[in-house]
Amino acid sequence: MVLTVFDKVGAAVLKGTDTFGDFAVLAGRTFAAIFKRPFDIKNLLNQFQSVGVNSIPVVVLTSLAVSMVFAVQLAFGFKQFQAEGLASQVEGLAIMRELAPVITGLMLSGRIGSAMAAELGTMQVTEQIDALECLATDPVHYLFVPRLLASMLVVPLLTVVSVYVGFWGGYLILVGVEGQSAYVYGNEFYKLLAFRDLRIAIYKAFVFGMIIALVGCWKGYRTQGGAEGVGNAPTSSVVTSSLWILISDFFLTKLLLV
Amino acid sequence: MALIDVVNLSKAFGPKVVLSNVNLQVQEGESLVVLGGSGTGKTVLLRNIMGLLTPDSGHVAVEGKIIAQLSREELFNVRQSIGMCFQMAALFDSMTVFENVAFGLRRHMKATEAEIGARVEECLTMVGMKGTDKLKPAELSGGMKRRVGFARAIALKPKILLFDEPTTGLDPVMTDVIGRVILDLKEELGVTTITITHDLKSAFEIADRIALLFRGECIACEKPSEFKVNPHPVIQQFLRGDADGPFLQDPPPPKRKIQEAHS
Repeated sequence: MVLTVFDKVGAAVLKGTDTFGDFAVLAGRTFAAIFKRPFDIKNLLNQFQSVGVNSIPVVVLTSLAVSMVFAVQLAFGFKQFQAEGLASQVEGLAIMRELAPVITGLMLSGRIGSAMAAELGTMQVTEQIDALECLATDPVHYLFVPRLLASMLVVPLLTVVSVYVGFWGGYLILVGVEGQSAYVYGNEFYKLLAFRDLRIAIYKAFVFGMIIALVGCWKGYRTQGGAEGVGNAPTSSVVTSSLWILISDFFLTKLLLV
Repeated sequence: MALIDVVNLSKAFGPKVVLSNVNLQVQEGESLVVLGGSGTGKTVLLRNIMGLLTPDSGHVAVEGKIIAQLSREELFNVRQSIGMCFQMAALFDSMTVFENVAFGLRRHMKATEAEIGARVEECLTMVGMKGTDKLKPAELSGGMKRRVGFARAIALKPKILLFDEPTTGLDPVMTDVIGRVILDLKEELGVTTITITHDLKSAFEIADRIALLFRGECIACEKPSEFKVNPHPVIQQFLRGDADGPFLQDPPPPKRKIQEAHS
């Protein structure tokens, strides 16, 4: 009985170590391949299009919704203490430091991370990745690198878009509904913020972009088992990358706020 | 020295032994056809030659280079001299036919777009697919996809062509078309080929030698005329296409016995 439990724990630890090792090796190979020739500019631009431009509506809508809901909650909460003026300050702080990078990261892990896993998973089960190998092309260089570069650049840019949209989401509620002065809101929103906060948000988004691309590509590349495997890859990618985004958010916040 | 040398190659997936001590030599310009039932390790053999799988023991050498011992860069250099045609073509479905055939040229040759265009047209003409360059793989039939796959494989002018069941799932007429295309490619390009097929008609047309894999072992590798008269019961059963005999480990009962049991 005790041995069986030890067996199971040992097997789980070995499997976990094996999985993490596999991810680490592929991630290392991806970073090493960034500077290898040939540079496929067309492929990279296609990724910017699908990762970045096509994600703008999703990021705008979710940022607007979250910032508006947050403003409603803040207005209600601060009204209890007759401190409505603080709502815009806290709105600015929350959007810049947490909501914009995390919401953007989570939305993009659902939109682009899952798409990467599904695309590479389909390529894997239909032997297209083997075909790349046979055409003397490293799949990590051809498939992973453009997705990683696009994701690392685009997620920070979309986070900046999210901050901007978040400002107007708060404006709609606090100025439009709660009747605060637009001039005061404009000033108060940035009152507690420093340039460092924007820098922190961009650093976080950069790391989230890395997580989304690497996990999405890794899950797709390791797809097995035909249609069922292709179906599982995006789900697994979204769950894993969302989890890592939230966990890394905690550590990045602790680290960057010191 | 043989161009492709398979020495004591063994490969297992978990407890299932797929290849066991397989030895094969393919000389330059020769055309080898590998026959065998489903799951006897034919595709695994090709994947070991391409370096897509690593042998458990033994090795595959191409032009004297042991594939499993090469670095990634060296392996890619060897792969540029081998064209692989996949069972289901494995065309890049996000690309057009032109982009598929041009893929290797764009990656590995310093050629202008005009030169690439000319080479793509030449390859598509060779496989009878001229004029399809703007189509996507989804718009092609099974036989057309295979032929585009052939065109992609020959684009870099390889010394070796590997065909993995190129006629599986095609109608008899298209099977004959594919057989002819392989024969034409072999004669026009003078390449060394290894073809895995179940189609005996095209096998005897294409082959300089025929090998038969049975339960992971190569039980024969000889000229088609010798193969035809080889008395080995497995070979004769395979040639007859008969369910009764030693070929299947668990053969279905004869039809008449089922009828007798029900009457």
